[in-house]
Amino acid sequence: MEWFSFLEKWIWLGFAAVGFAVLFNVPVRTLWVIFVLGALGGSLKFVTMKLGGGIILGSFFGAMLVGFLSIYAAHFRHAPPFVFAIPAVIPMVPGAFAYRMMLGIIHLTGDVDHALYGQLLDETLNNGLKALFVLMALSLGVSAPMLLTRRESAKQIKVPLKIDGLIRK
Amino acid sequence: MENRNIKRIQELSKILLEVGSLLMASGANSSRIRITIMRIASAYGFSAELLITHRALMLTVFDEESDYFHSSLKRTSPHGANFKMVSGISRMSWRIVEEGWDYGKVWAEIDRLKSLPHYPRLIILATVALAGASFCRLFGGGPVEMLITYIATFCGLFIRQEAVKKGFNAYLCIFFAAFTSCLIAGSAVKFQLSVNPEHAFATSVLYLIPGIPLINSLSDLLEGNIMNGLVRGMNGLMIAFSIALGMLCTILIYNI
Repeated sequence: MEWFSFLEKWIWLGFAAVGFAVLFNVPVRTLWVIFVLGALGGSLKFVTMKLGGGIILGSFFGAMLVGFLSIYAAHFRHAPPFVFAIPAVIPMVPGAFAYRMMLGIIHLTGDVDHALYGQLLDETLNNGLKALFVLMALSLGVSAPMLLTRRESAKQIKVPLKIDGLIRK
Repeated sequence: MENRNIKRIQELSKILLEVGSLLMASGANSSRIRITIMRIASAYGFSAELLITHRALMLTVFDEESDYFHSSLKRTSPHGANFKMVSGISRMSWRIVEEGWDYGKVWAEIDRLKSLPHYPRLIILATVALAGASFCRLFGGGPVEMLITYIATFCGLFIRQEAVKKGFNAYLCIFFAAFTSCLIAGSAVKFQLSVNPEHAFATSVLYLIPGIPLINSLSDLLEGNIMNGLVRGMNGLMIAFSIALGMLCTILIYNI
């Protein structure tokens, strides 16, 4: 049952990534790669969160996986890695936190009594900070391969021969 | 000789600015724009310097032999993510380096990339709505909530496309879309159409989240393009604010 729910999540994560990919008008040849990348990254995020890593660490690992895989994808689907990486991490973007923070700020402008004000401020700040740090984790994770290899372009990163050979076949 | 060289530099700077503004409009981050432009300029044997801002690009092309500068400025067109363009320009820049294209070929390729079709509208609406339903499922919604999110996303995106066509302010378009989606999903909360209608309400606007501005903002900040990063981040916050405003209106209307 556990595995079944995991597999189901996998599929939904993939569809979420593909939906954004279509919105961003990616080339058709990259669509299924984005499905796989989005699903894998999202799954890693959920696994990390299940193991008690929290949403920020989970997003970081998920985005890092997407970042590294996108380099491989770029080599055999011939598109810049960020074409794969951005739609794949968009489902992890803390959109819900961002607009909840905004809603909180709007509510704070109203006349709220003191006890409620504190609670509202708590929630707003918490949502805002989570959104900020998840975003930082995402962009750090996605650009990790570039930062670690100190290259300007994915073309200069050598993909290990084994995988290269596999792809060529 | 001098005159011909000057013509070449002027033509090149036109190409570079066109490429840069297309990349900026299609949602590339600042360092990608800079790297691509440098790559093309050095392929033709000139050095270039670039000032990138959100709404305009400034470029200086420099020829060391004749000690000739050419500076020009170009406004970037309104932003709308188009990764086919980014991918196409990136491939083009490598082919310019490797195959030594002349200017005519480059202009032809740019025109071809510009004329590439987007996905059919119905497919965009259907897949983005499916993505919304997927989000709803991931947040723990059931089949009924997924259906509500699907319809809400479909209608909201439709309204947004129509508003963009009519030429409304970009943030207002997002407000209209968020308002429509929440109006549909909020009715489920108001009339208790299912077990957990809140999931549908919360996920019905997720297709509007400013993913590209926010991620590009942080990656620009990370690479030291602080100004661009701040501007992009502010743009992302404005979009989030528009979404929240749309939600707030429906919350007030339904009193939920």
